[in-house]
Amino acid sequence: MSAMLQRLRQPGEIRVEFQPIFRVRRDHLEVYALEALARGPRGTSMERPAVMFEYARRKGAEAAIDLICMSEALRAASTLPGQPLISLNVHGSTLTGVRNFTQRFLTSAETYGIAPGRLMIEIIEHHVPWIAAKFHETLEELREAGVHIAIDDLGIGGSNFQMVVDCHPDHLKIDRHLIHGCSEDRWRRAVLQSIATLARSCDVTTIAEGIEDVADLEVLLENGIDTMQGWLYARSMPALELAKSSLLLSPPMPQRMKGSCS
Amino acid sequence: MAARLLYGSPVTKRLLIVDNEETILFALQRYFTRAGFIVDCASELEEAEALAIHTDYDLVIVDLALTTTGSTEGLEIIRHLRNRRSSARVIMLSAYGTTAVQHEAIRRGADIFLHKPRPLAEIASVVEQLIGGLA
Repeated sequence: MSAMLQRLRQPGEIRVEFQPIFRVRRDHLEVYALEALARGPRGTSMERPAVMFEYARRKGAEAAIDLICMSEALRAASTLPGQPLISLNVHGSTLTGVRNFTQRFLTSAETYGIAPGRLMIEIIEHHVPWIAAKFHETLEELREAGVHIAIDDLGIGGSNFQMVVDCHPDHLKIDRHLIHGCSEDRWRRAVLQSIATLARSCDVTTIAEGIEDVADLEVLLENGIDTMQGWLYARSMPALELAKSSLLLSPPMPQRMKGSCS
Repeated sequence: MAARLLYGSPVTKRLLIVDNEETILFALQRYFTRAGFIVDCASELEEAEALAIHTDYDLVIVDLALTTTGSTEGLEIIRHLRNRRSSARVIMLSAYGTTAVQHEAIRRGADIFLHKPRPLAEIASVVEQLIGGLA
């Protein structure tokens, strides 16, 4: 095994940060969920999660790294105050390739005192051919246990309409590529409008990722997309820092946003 | 040369350096970082490929053999870059390259093949010729 892969498997080398997802109300924000985001060892190329997962995939260790991230995220989440929804990224190939995934996941959550109803699995996919039957079986097990299902990065790569139709998710996370600049781009606005219509038709919650601009925010709100994640509200941070901040108990409404919400 | 590198005009070009010898990696990284480049390092084929997928590099310095003497992972990295239509200039380094391997490296898209060991200043000179940005 390569030195880097060995290092990634060492306890504490993969760190987890949490980024709040907020629901925007007329005059306040509600914490909707916390997304766990994995980071590789400091000072290495693996500090960039996209590089770490691409590397793991090429080493045939994607599922193993997913499980480490999952366990670390649950452990860190157990130290946070309140009962927020905890959102975890899992590759489609992990859902099919790991034996008894659901049982392992629920056992790990139970160990850290987190009820299944507080968990959301964000499915990410990168062209890995997974076994459809096993994939659906695992999703059904998770759903039956009360775990929420989200499709991550909707609109790019493998997070497409086929995935929506096959997974029947209860959350759609719209990729930042569609969000950035939507206030000045009618093509993006049209795509967002169609996703909002789809979500309403299927009673699905949409979450806008990577929101950084008030003008883009207004477009989203006009289309009924009111659940947001991005630097406009909060960056990701370690559990300890998040617990010490006031973000979870009384999330601040940025001054420049007041009055812009429906 | 170092002073010129340190106090030369600012550059923001991106380099990927791939070598399984930590000392060489460290020396090249320090040298080019101090010269103002943004430098990523990799010591394995898969790490280099993962970085190249998510970053547009101006130049890649890659060792031919990344595992055992006689291995040719460096050629795989050039192939990976060119398959992705990367316009990165490529310097291939090796202590063992035969003429046939050198030709193969150039055929796959390397700009130049250098035998190791080479003084840092000489490698820097080639970098300057290929992408500029050193002074």
